[in-house]
Amino acid sequence: MNVAELAPLSHPSLDEVESESDRLVERLRAGEPAAVGEVYDAHHRAVRAFAKRLVGEAAAAEDLVHDVFVALPKVMKNYRGESPLRTFLIAIAINKARHHVRGAARRRRAMTSFAEQPQLGLAGDPEQDARRRELAQALTRALDALTLEHRVAVVLCDVEERSSREAAEVIGVPEATVRTRLFYARKKLRAALEGVGVP
Amino acid sequence: MSDDILTQAARALRESTDSERGAANDVPPSARLTRSRVMASLHRSTVKRRTRVAFLLPIAATLATVSAWGAASGKAPELWDAVTRTLGFEKPAEAPAPPVQSLGRSSRALRRPAEAAIEHHAVAEPTSEQPDTPAPAPQPPAVASAALPAPSAPAASASSAVFADPTHDLYRRAHRAHFAEHDAAAALALWDEYLRAAPRGRFAVEARYNRALCLVRLGQRAEARAALDAFAAGKFGGYRQSEAAELLEALGE
Repeated sequence: MNVAELAPLSHPSLDEVESESDRLVERLRAGEPAAVGEVYDAHHRAVRAFAKRLVGEAAAAEDLVHDVFVALPKVMKNYRGESPLRTFLIAIAINKARHHVRGAARRRRAMTSFAEQPQLGLAGDPEQDARRRELAQALTRALDALTLEHRVAVVLCDVEERSSREAAEVIGVPEATVRTRLFYARKKLRAALEGVGVP
Repeated sequence: MSDDILTQAARALRESTDSERGAANDVPPSARLTRSRVMASLHRSTVKRRTRVAFLLPIAATLATVSAWGAASGKAPELWDAVTRTLGFEKPAEAPAPPVQSLGRSSRALRRPAEAAIEHHAVAEPTSEQPDTPAPAPQPPAVASAALPAPSAPAASASSAVFADPTHDLYRRAHRAHFAEHDAAAALALWDEYLRAAPRGRFAVEARYNRALCLVRLGQRAEARAALDAFAAGKFGGYRQSEAAELLEALGE
């Protein structure tokens, strides 16, 4: 019996997957809305999670996700296929994040003055959730004091647990630059978290 | 210890925003809403782009057609002039040169009768009987300059640069030799060259008349007479007919 006959028909081969991916990229470059829809379905969770971590506010994060996918067909000319599409989407989010981060930080400052913070959804042990929420909000407020570059480095490396090499690839800067940014950002964050007396 | 706090805080933020924890099909309403917004925005931009194309494409096609027609029919310079005139981009006309009458009487008296006849015609306004004849150029302070049609289009018009015709350059050189340098021999050679290159060219009639004047100035009377005969006989319509007849008369003296 021929080996090819034993190959399962239900799973696409690596070549098929690659050609499918290439076709999707071509459709995105052509500005096909359906292709954007497919990419959204595949990657929106990762982009949204990153956006929430970076911006620190659910509504602003949704706006950022919207901007990323609307801009996708236009910026596809910069995509060379060297990194996964998800990494490229995160890079777009970083480029689009500046005014969303600024707006969210402004709202947080206003909310703080009314002692009212937007709640990030958690489920599980109420006591543990409360502590987590408190820590997450303290970190988000501390991130507001950083520059966008430092903030991005912390979110990518400390919150999303990416390596400095991955972060460098996403941001498009040398790895050493990411490490330097992390060093200074962590120093400031430690000081900020100790200052607010997080237990 | 502070590192622990930072690590804990980072973990807390990661877990509180980890939207990938849910099931694959469990899409929150906010994500569905954002998807709808994305698709609506893309649709709007597509419609906007199509509208822009639908608006600009006919304009571009019309411009291309008109340009091609103008270049093919040789009417592009006129068209260009008309457009620039309409839009107010036309160059201001140059100040007219001093009239020929400013030449001293004594120098005029010394000239031969034929040249005097040419000068006499120089005072006359150029005719505009030929529909294709362009506007006469400002009169240079030379003998016979204003007697000639002296079309300015090939010399100064921006349109000639846009719709370049190799024979226009020849015409321009002949024009310069005739009117600016007053070199009748060189002008005659260049008028001949132009007429060889464009015997039925746009400025062929003017070139023939100017050539005849060069012959007069060079004293080649027989050839000048032959060239002027055609004009006097109305072979070129009414163009320079009376002037040619007067010159013939002067040559005959």
